[in-house]
Amino acid sequence: MRCVLPCLLTMLLAGTAAAEEPIRIGASEPMTGTAAVFGEQAKWGIELALSEINAAGGVLGRKLELVVEDNRCNPAEAAKAVTKLIDENKVVTVIGALCSSATLATMPLIARAQIPLVVTNSTAASIAQLSGIGGNPWVFKTNPADDTMAQALVEHLKKEGVKTLAYMAEDTDYGRGGVQGFAEAAAKAGIKSLPPEVFPQGTPDFSVLLAKIEAQKPDRIVGYFLRGDNDNIMRQVEAMQLKIPFTGRIDLHSAAMAMSPEYLKAGGLDHTTAINPYQPDWDDPKNLAFVEKFKKATGHAPLQMGLYEYEATYVLVEAIKRAGSTDPKALQAALKLTKYPSILGATIEFDDHNCAHNNALIQSIEGGVIKVIELSKT
Amino acid sequence: MTFGYLLTLLVNGLVIGAFYALLAMGLSLIFGVLEIVNFAHGEFYMLGALAALLAINYLHLGYWTTIVTVTLAGACVGWLFHRALLGGLAGHSFERSLLLTLGLGMVLQNGALYIFTATPQIVRTQFGMSSILLVDVRLTWVRLFALVWAAVGLIGLYLLLYRTRIGQAMRAVAENREAALIVGIRPERVARLAVMAGIALCFMSGAALAPVYVVTPTMGLIFAFKSFAIVVIGGFGSIGGAALAALSLGVIEALVGGTMSLVLADAVAFVAMILVLLFRPLGLFGTGVRI
Repeated sequence: MRCVLPCLLTMLLAGTAAAEEPIRIGASEPMTGTAAVFGEQAKWGIELALSEINAAGGVLGRKLELVVEDNRCNPAEAAKAVTKLIDENKVVTVIGALCSSATLATMPLIARAQIPLVVTNSTAASIAQLSGIGGNPWVFKTNPADDTMAQALVEHLKKEGVKTLAYMAEDTDYGRGGVQGFAEAAAKAGIKSLPPEVFPQGTPDFSVLLAKIEAQKPDRIVGYFLRGDNDNIMRQVEAMQLKIPFTGRIDLHSAAMAMSPEYLKAGGLDHTTAINPYQPDWDDPKNLAFVEKFKKATGHAPLQMGLYEYEATYVLVEAIKRAGSTDPKALQAALKLTKYPSILGATIEFDDHNCAHNNALIQSIEGGVIKVIELSKT
Repeated sequence: MTFGYLLTLLVNGLVIGAFYALLAMGLSLIFGVLEIVNFAHGEFYMLGALAALLAINYLHLGYWTTIVTVTLAGACVGWLFHRALLGGLAGHSFERSLLLTLGLGMVLQNGALYIFTATPQIVRTQFGMSSILLVDVRLTWVRLFALVWAAVGLIGLYLLLYRTRIGQAMRAVAENREAALIVGIRPERVARLAVMAGIALCFMSGAALAPVYVVTPTMGLIFAFKSFAIVVIGGFGSIGGAALAALSLGVIEALVGGTMSLVLADAVAFVAMILVLLFRPLGLFGTGVRI
């Protein structure tokens, strides 16, 4: 007897399901573990977009519903997450999987299930190579890869008259790979690269390395290292009063924070540049409005993941609208025709490898203040 | 290579070598007297730096007060460390002491991670990053003072060991425990003082280097590994050997890092250690191991 009410309800709902059932969108994101901050941002971005779209009446007369599965930034978990989304939750499309290795593990399963996957934050160059023409036609990517961002930054440095680059990189795939990609881009642009200085993560003393670089008189130092080493390096740069600006994948905020305010104000880090897919403090009115909206909904400023997943959700929903159905084949064809204006100023549209080329932000420190100086097509 | 560049490398190498020496000498002292390899040595160095961070950034103590206070605090921690953990182990079981100090190191490091997170912290003293130009080498005052503290530590330890009765007793216990017992030396007291001195040196190194580098819970790892290599090179239990090996290693690393690569510089210590173990297993200055 206990079943009566729920059973009745189920029967009632089943009767109206055809018209009312929401369209399910799956998200495979790292919700726990070291990348959880990014996974949470991604989820917030999608939720914000979906709440706006649902408030405006949904799409094809149906509401949209988000199902999130935790992939822990791990290939094995990512395979499990996407299988669950497809088989159990019957999602029409998947967004994710954020970490490159998790995305690469998700791609073959997506191809087998034949539904679209929208990648928004994985940078490994192999994802683009494996997608679209001659590869996996179900994978679409909206974020720029590391190599294209390096090219964009090198073009900018050339305009600044940079002739010689030194390199400082941590001894990891990220550091060594990043430096190699940057040096290749520099070689194409006719900029000379000194042999890279590689150091183990957590090295305490950089005085010797910095003295070595100073003696070679480069115009810029290309940095590929993470937060822990960043602060130590910047402090020792100030201690030596090394007047060579940095560039590359420098986190300008952490770099500026590690310096004393006086040194920064006196121009100690001036002409240091960096390229990033997104920075929330970019003072563009469209961006400020987005940041405001995001903060109101989540209580946090958006990171790159927040914006990219927000816009990817709109790209998907517009494709569903254009396809007129949630049929995967029609959806895939509709995604190919996407022309979505990003708040970053470029139009999101997919090339032969299903990759979009949005703008990236080139920022610079001038007079101790961080400014966005250029929007660069990637 | 210009003269100025060479000088820069030498000075930087000496500064780093002096701190390798402070840590390695403490390690060697504790081993000599207690026959315990303190695998938590790097974590005590980290604790010293964290203590300096708290004193300067939160209690707003001055630079000099901080370093003296932290060094004394180190001696107290050393007393506690000996009293609570090491005292009962001396000379008994190498395996037990190994597990105990390794475990303590993990607890300290992860405890610090839990409380302070992995975010690097910056200690800003009243000297800031202001510096002087010595011939061709730019040195910040805090780096220069660090060198002074290293010298104070080295000379202080030398005076303690060679100019005081208790130091004589320490050397006696290190040389021959049984004979020392026979002539009426109380090994407990000597061991306690050795641990106090060793940990105080760790704390002083941490406090002196905190304003030079950044403070993180994992900062002790590299220094500690190098210290182990140095103690092996210098000869286990040979304090002078450790000091000499440390200073040479600092300078050699700087020269290798400055002319070749920093990754290679890190290998120097361990290649040297392996060579010493192959050809002079007692270390360059080791005199022998008692049974």
